[in-house]
This record gives sequence, C-alpha cells and structure tokens, in this order.
Amino acid sequence: MVIAPLAACSTGGGSDGSQGTTTITFSYLWSGPEAESLEKIIADYNASQSEVKVIGVSSPDFQKQLTSMSSSNGSFDISDNFGDVVGSWASKGILAPLDDYNIDMSGFVPSSLTQMKYGGKTYSLPIAIHSQLLMYNKKMFADAGVQVPTTMDELADAALALTKTDADGNITQLGLGEAAPGATQRMIAAAFGGSWWDKDGQPTPLNDGNIQAMTWYQNLVNKIGPDKIAKFVAGYGQYQSDQDPFFSGKLAMRIDGEWNGVGIPKVAPGLEWGVITIPGASPQYKDTTEVTASTLFIPANSKHKEAAAKFLAYMVSPDAMKAFTVALGNMPALTSLLDSSADYSAIENFSAFADALKSPNAYAPSSAVSAGEYMTDLNKAFDSIASGNETPKKALEQVESRVSSYSK
Amino acid sequence: MSLRRPASAQTIPSSARKPGDRSSRRALWLGLAFASPFIIGFLFLFAYPIAASAFYSFTDFNLFQTPRWVGLDNYSQMFGNPTFWQSLGNTLYLTVIGVPLAIIISLAGAHLLNFPVKGQPLYRALVYLPSIVPIVVGGYLWRWLLNTQYGFLNYFLGLFGIDGPAWLQEPDWTKPAILLMTFWTVGGTTIIYLAALKDVPQELYEAAEIDGAGAWRRFLNVTWPMISPVTLFQVIVTLIAFLQIFTQPFILAQQRLNTPSAGPGGSMLTFAMSLYQNAFAFLKMGYASGMAWILFVLTLVITLIVLATSKKWVHSANN
Repeated sequence: MVIAPLAACSTGGGSDGSQGTTTITFSYLWSGPEAESLEKIIADYNASQSEVKVIGVSSPDFQKQLTSMSSSNGSFDISDNFGDVVGSWASKGILAPLDDYNIDMSGFVPSSLTQMKYGGKTYSLPIAIHSQLLMYNKKMFADAGVQVPTTMDELADAALALTKTDADGNITQLGLGEAAPGATQRMIAAAFGGSWWDKDGQPTPLNDGNIQAMTWYQNLVNKIGPDKIAKFVAGYGQYQSDQDPFFSGKLAMRIDGEWNGVGIPKVAPGLEWGVITIPGASPQYKDTTEVTASTLFIPANSKHKEAAAKFLAYMVSPDAMKAFTVALGNMPALTSLLDSSADYSAIENFSAFADALKSPNAYAPSSAVSAGEYMTDLNKAFDSIASGNETPKKALEQVESRVSSYSK
Repeated sequence: MSLRRPASAQTIPSSARKPGDRSSRRALWLGLAFASPFIIGFLFLFAYPIAASAFYSFTDFNLFQTPRWVGLDNYSQMFGNPTFWQSLGNTLYLTVIGVPLAIIISLAGAHLLNFPVKGQPLYRALVYLPSIVPIVVGGYLWRWLLNTQYGFLNYFLGLFGIDGPAWLQEPDWTKPAILLMTFWTVGGTTIIYLAALKDVPQELYEAAEIDGAGAWRRFLNVTWPMISPVTLFQVIVTLIAFLQIFTQPFILAQQRLNTPSAGPGGSMLTFAMSLYQNAFAFLKMGYASGMAWILFVLTLVITLIVLATSKKWVHSANN
C-alpha cells in the first residue's frame, strides 16, 4: 500500500524537459495475472512512442483510489473503475471530462457509453464490457439427471435437486450460489420484470418485480434452510481460487460473468461448465442480463491530462483493447471487435456472454450519484431476506425509507 | 559535578525580573523555540483538524467541493438513520462485553505468567507475540481460522464433538468472532498487569497468610486493591479502544475489491466503520464529521463516569 504513492510521487514529475517525454502514472485496480497482461500492453505503448511514458501501478483498493483523488496534486493520471460510479464521481468534480481530447468515441457499443456520461459530457470510456449469465456445472446436472432450467420455477426445482446434505444435515453441495454477496438477488429481479432503478437512475426498491423476485428467492432459501446455507457460504474460499466453490465442484449454479472463460481453465481446467441465460418468470422477461463496463478515466487532479488522454486513446484503440480483453477474457467495448469474435473463440463460453448483449432485456445498472449508498443498503436488505429475518416487502421498505437521505 | 545557575539568573533574581525585560522575552522565545515542534504539530495535526471537523459537521461536504452550510441537518439525519443506531448498538455490544472480558483474561493471564515455573520468559514472549503481529495480517489470518470449511477453529471444536457456527455468516456469531480476534491480542495488557503484580509488596501477602487468608481472599484484599490504579488505566484505555474499534470488523467483513460492507445483516458495522464508509465510500464528509463528534462526546462521557466511580474502587495513598 505504501509503494503505490511513493511510485506515483517519484514518477509524477511530468515532463522530462530534455527529451520532451511526459511521464504519467496509471494506477489500476487489477492485480495478479490481469495486472501482468496490462503491464505488457503498457510496455508496448511505451516502446511505440517517446512522447508519453506510462508507469503502471497495481493498487486494487477502491477507497484508496478515491481518497488519492481528493488532494490538489494527483498521485496518478489515469485509472480504472466500473461504469456505475461515473455519475457519482462526475457530479463531485472528481473526473475530468474527455470530450475535448482527441479520442475517437464513434466505435463503442452504444449501450456501453450510457453509463459514461453525466450532464451531457463523457467522463469515462469503456475498455471492456461484461454480461452476467447463469453458469452451471454440467457433471452435477448429469449426475442428478436435472435438465437446464428455462423458467424460474424450473430454476428453483433444479437448485433444490442439486443441493445435497450429509448425515448431519450440513450442506455438502449447493444448487444455486452467489459470486458476490447480494449479486444473485440483485440480478434475478429483472427476470420478474423488476428493476432497482427508474429510467432516470433513481432507486426503486419497492418495484413489484423486485418484491416478487425476493419472495421467490426467500422461498427457495427457506426450503433449504437459511442457517444451513449461511454455514456453507461461510466455508467459501477465495473467489476464482482453488477453493472457489464453483471451481471446486461444491456449487452447481451461479450467476457470474464472462471473465470465468479465462479463469476456470487456469484454476480448474477439468471443470465442465456451461452457460445459459437467466430464465424469465414469464416469456417477456427471459434472457435478462446485467451489462456493466470496466472503465478508464482521468482524475480531475491529474497534472498531465493531455498525456493521459493520449494513453487513454491508445488503450481504447482496437489493438490494445483486443490484447487486453482477450487476456482477461472480457468482452471488448468496440463494436468492430465484438462482431469479429474469432479472436475470442479460444475463451470458453465467450459467445454465450457476447450474444447476451443483444438481448432486448439486457440492462445497465444506474450510475446515479447515490448508487454506492443504495447498493450498500440493498445488500443489507438482501441479507435480511436471505436469513429470513424480514419479509421482502418489509426489508425493501426499509431501503425505501433511506432513499431520501442519499447524496443528491 | 556541581550544578550552576546561568550567569543571568545569578545576577538578577527571577523575582526581580519584569515580564517586559529583554532577558525575560529571550527566555520566553527560547522556550517557545524548544517547544515549537510540539506546538506546530499540535496546531496543524490536532487543533486545526479538530476545528475543521467541527465546522464540517454543520456542512454538506464531499471532499472535492466547497462545503455548504446545512446547520444541524447532518445531526438530525443521523438520529433518524437506523444504520447509525445499529452501528452504535454493535459498538456498545462489543464494548460492554469486550472490556470486562479483556480485563479478566489479561489479569488471569498475568497471574499464570507470574508463577515461578521453568521457561516462564518463553511463555511471556508467546503471550505477547500476537500483539506485535500487524492487525491487518492478524485479521486475514482470522478470516481463515474462522472459515467453516477450511478453518482451524471449527476443526478444533469438532474434535470435542461441537458443531462450530458459521462465524462470519450468522449475525449472532459475527460479534463473538470479532471479540475472539480482539482477545487474541491482549498480550500487551497482560504484560502491564504482570508488572503491576510484581510491584505488590510481598510482605502484604505474608501478613495476609498469617491472618489465615486463602488464595481468593488474598486476591480480593491484597492484589486487587494494590493493582487497582493499573486497572483504572487499563479500563479506560481498553474502553476507548473498543469504542473506536475498526480494523478487526473491517477486515472480517471485507468483500471483494473492498466495497463497503458490514457483515451479514449489518452485524459487524461498528460506529468507526460506519463513519469511515460515510466519509470515504459515500463521500459524506460533513455527516461523518458529525459522527466523529458524537463518538468523541460519547467516549468523553463514559470515561468521566469511569473516573468518577474510581474514587470508590481505586486504591491510592490518599484513599
């Protein structure tokens, strides 16, 4: 944690007058193999020109990133995050608008740019887009003689059939789990026609579809036993590690993203997994998927915005974006790359995630100013629902009561 | 070597010097110069932030834009916010249970470490060792120890036929998990108690024994009064530490990418965690400053209450 700011200080001096080279710091949230892939792209860029020298720093902490941008002198010149923070950060003047720089914004998948704008200006650009679908363990389905579900009722039946317990009643295999706390609950709402935001991005926790989805979820959890599930989940290992419950064959289904197409072959090469769209409670709500974007932005306190914009333009150019997204197993945000998916054919189940983007029921989460506070309160409500402590309506009413206090 | 007063002090008695005298002003400036590291540090690192946070608590301030005066809005919002009360409740729960238990465990540990047995220095070092492990490192270690699938704690309980709970997933067990992690580092308190025990005059025990006092009576009538000033110090320091508890629940509740988290059902959200989330995750610095002042006043009041009661139970030369 100490290295990043020191590195930034030592390299943030900017222009190396004698050579006309501007040095900028790229602080990114990626780490491990993803960071290694990114460093190769940075090295290629540095080798390709002498105008801008980029120093990459892996710093995978959201809150550290945010506080680093609060001082008058920025410790980095370009960084990454997700699309849902753009509105909140742009409204507070944290991000520099990108419209005045010479960056080609014409080739992006149109829906991927929706979250990038605030007040008519573009504050971030997507380097990758993500969709989330229902991943399942093929062997577990075959062993249990369960067909892949096509409705939410079938999904509930499959989740129950694929849940196994030992002689003491402890769960040894769970039918439907989560990639992150609250993720499944948030995403199944759309399968019931629900939405957590209105068209203006304002919170709508009490939407009928949301309550129906949470009732469906609570019924499913109650049939298995909230305490048993809590105990099983408490034994989860680290996400995308050997101990990841889906990777290690302890979880039959979970809603998760396309990056698993690279992660699973690396960590659990023998795992036979498939992907289907999230079933709909009724036909008009089938094929829902949450579309998010990994974004690049220039903080308002950067002293080298011009140089950072040049590097940003390079990062979202077809060659760099392809190198980055293929390495990470992400979907490119440029239409030209997305349509020529041959480059991505080696990534397991990639086409299913890419096809999901075309669904009329694909949606992007709000990037409203209050998104962070709202998601925190929603996760708390999801906990209450999953543990059976509150009815869905009551838990979501409590969130609704908090909405008026959110940052505007 | 004899001590000699400075020449100026020898020729002009201090009582004869007037405040406006040149030498007096020089002494003042010299004193201020020597004290300047503290004065400057205090002004910039304490006085200014304290004054600024008091001002910010009456503003809508997000770190990035000019604060906007909102009067008492932050405080009224706070008192109407269930998350505020939940975080306060969680903190008081940890404090009320954690402080007495930490004191009891430390004192019991100090007694064990005071027995004249072979290898005692090694045992003392082992008890103190967790205190020097960085708290974040300890936190991640405990996340694994408390894991129901791979953790050592439930495995150990299983050896005795006990089906361990889901420590970090069941709201009823998250706070005991935090307390366990906290008690792991009572070595510092234990060592201070050990020093206090060694300071108790041996003749008092001998006199008590002659009077027929057993071990428990000796503890109650000799040990406890004699170490009560140390206990007062320990209680106040431990109390403040629990009221400000942050790192242990923060690490245990942490999720991927360090997004704001509070444990299942918000059961691990302490006051300091909530303050941090409001300040640095939701960028509500004005609201968070108000929370800081509430915590300060709460800590002050509780500390004053403890000090007021101390006259009744702390033994001193005058008491």
